[in-house]
Amino acid sequence: MMDTQLLTSGIIFGLSIGSIFFLLAIGLSLCFGLMRIISLDQLLYYSVGAYITYTLHVVTGNTWVGVLGGMAAAGIVSFGVERFVFLRIYERDITFTMITSFGILFAGVGAIKYVWGLVPRPVPIPIEAQVRILGTWIPVYRLLVIAISLLVYAGIWLFLNRTITGKAIRAGIEDVEHVEGLGVNVYRLFTITFILAGILSGLAGGLHSSLIMVDPQMGIEVLAFVFMVVIIGGLGSIKGTLASAFIVGQVVSLGSLVYAPLAQMAPFAIMLVILLIKPTGLYGSKLLKR
Amino acid sequence: MMKVFNWWWGILLAFLLLALVRVFLPLPFANEIIIFSIYTMGCNFLLGRVGFISFGQPAYLAVGAYGTAFYLYYFGQNPYIGILLGILAGCVVSVIVGAFFVRLRSDYFALVNLALAVIVFYMMEKVLAKITHGDNGLWFLTNMSSTPILNLGKPSHFFIFSFLVALALWAFYKYLDDSIYGACCLATKINEDKLRFLGYSNFNIRWMAFIIANTTTALAGALYAVYVGLVSPAITHPARAADPVVVTILGGVGTLYGPIVGAVAYTGMKDLLSRFIANWELFIGLLLVIIMLAGEKGIWGTLESLMKKTLLRKSILPRYQDSGDERR
Repeated sequence: MMDTQLLTSGIIFGLSIGSIFFLLAIGLSLCFGLMRIISLDQLLYYSVGAYITYTLHVVTGNTWVGVLGGMAAAGIVSFGVERFVFLRIYERDITFTMITSFGILFAGVGAIKYVWGLVPRPVPIPIEAQVRILGTWIPVYRLLVIAISLLVYAGIWLFLNRTITGKAIRAGIEDVEHVEGLGVNVYRLFTITFILAGILSGLAGGLHSSLIMVDPQMGIEVLAFVFMVVIIGGLGSIKGTLASAFIVGQVVSLGSLVYAPLAQMAPFAIMLVILLIKPTGLYGSKLLKR
Repeated sequence: MMKVFNWWWGILLAFLLLALVRVFLPLPFANEIIIFSIYTMGCNFLLGRVGFISFGQPAYLAVGAYGTAFYLYYFGQNPYIGILLGILAGCVVSVIVGAFFVRLRSDYFALVNLALAVIVFYMMEKVLAKITHGDNGLWFLTNMSSTPILNLGKPSHFFIFSFLVALALWAFYKYLDDSIYGACCLATKINEDKLRFLGYSNFNIRWMAFIIANTTTALAGALYAVYVGLVSPAITHPARAADPVVVTILGGVGTLYGPIVGAVAYTGMKDLLSRFIANWELFIGLLLVIIMLAGEKGIWGTLESLMKKTLLRKSILPRYQDSGDERR
């Protein structure tokens, strides 16, 4: 039998991992929903965020400054990539953007190796304190990560439902051509969405950097998990992404308590089953043609 | 008649170059190129002919490699039977898996394959660790008995064998390209509704293509297992999942010589660049982006159109349509 302490810390661990997955997957999901591109290079902005967090932490000694700097850097890099590459290929089919963005990710990993070297780097946890929940000591930082991701979800919901730009983005997810017909500059919407996705990926990288070691391959390692989250939730759905991120987090965390070798594999098996039963994911609507 | 002569001429020329590679470059490099180009052929067929991009080719590579490795480690000693069993394993797995996967759209197909590669990786590393010996892998180099005529244990003989296998596969894929089936594959990529209207089943065509492509991949895995004599889960690591896709694009999608040009370029660049600098990914990645932005023709595709232009001007070759170029 599993005791309560193990279970509680397992659930909190799963929730915090799920939060990181959510922050990464939301960008991918928005990019797919609006632009109909699969942007594997979000994983690059995640690594950039983590590395800038590390560097700024070494310089200033404060991890939070690092996280903010990481978000800014990820935003700048994503803006550059959007200008130079994606602006030319929005019209192409999904497979094309997938391969191109994989090239960007690959080149980015090479550039990171060039700048920071191959050695994994540690980033200390900014908050050392722990609180007692149900008789278990839980690191406050993990709770904070969960809170930040929920705040981001609320913020995105407000942005998409309460601002005119957000409404235009939501309308664009439904039908881009009609939005264009209303006189909205959709390419500006695309740029805004892309940078937003990049910044969120950078935030995920910055927050995750204290929980793991920062190393050049980190983006490629989480790639499979993030994609699984997006697919289980349904491409383009924000609510679905949140739900599936937490499901995947729990499966990874609680699965490792039950039978360790299964923990990494179980989510993929779940994804296979879900895709074969309902190819659009949990909350995905029937895919609209661009 | 002229056409038959032309493509045999092309294949012979390509293989003459490959034989030259053997003379001028070290043997391990040549063997790696041959195995890699067979590995890429399957992906090239899927991506170039049927329009399916797969980020999970390592899964089928591992199925072939482990099929061979299990036989050579536990049961027998003849490497030829091992290779045959590897191919058989790959064929069975792709028949079963393909029936589910080819129903999906191209982008989902890529990710489901990636998921399969991850599952195979963890199965071989952790779940089946008692049989596969986990990360240590199965080591059976000394288990293989020497065979008459071509002794696969010797790298120089292995080169000749894999060379012949690659040549046969080339001829096979060329034959497929020229057959009605090859035309159907292209049609299902370009316009599946019209193909259904003509009375063909899209599902069957795709399923068949999936089986052909991934049996080829399993063959590459079996050859790799016999050549190295060691199979570990590292060959199906998710971080290497996109290698065949990268090589396919480098060489030129859907072209006949693309895989070998891509394999030479990729292994060559990896070996040469990593000798000078640690971050060869930067160059491969940038090259990939540039090729995609420049019209996704790849190295061979660009060379081919250049050659065609010069040859046509001199009117040595009759004007014939190459079916692979028209994507959209």
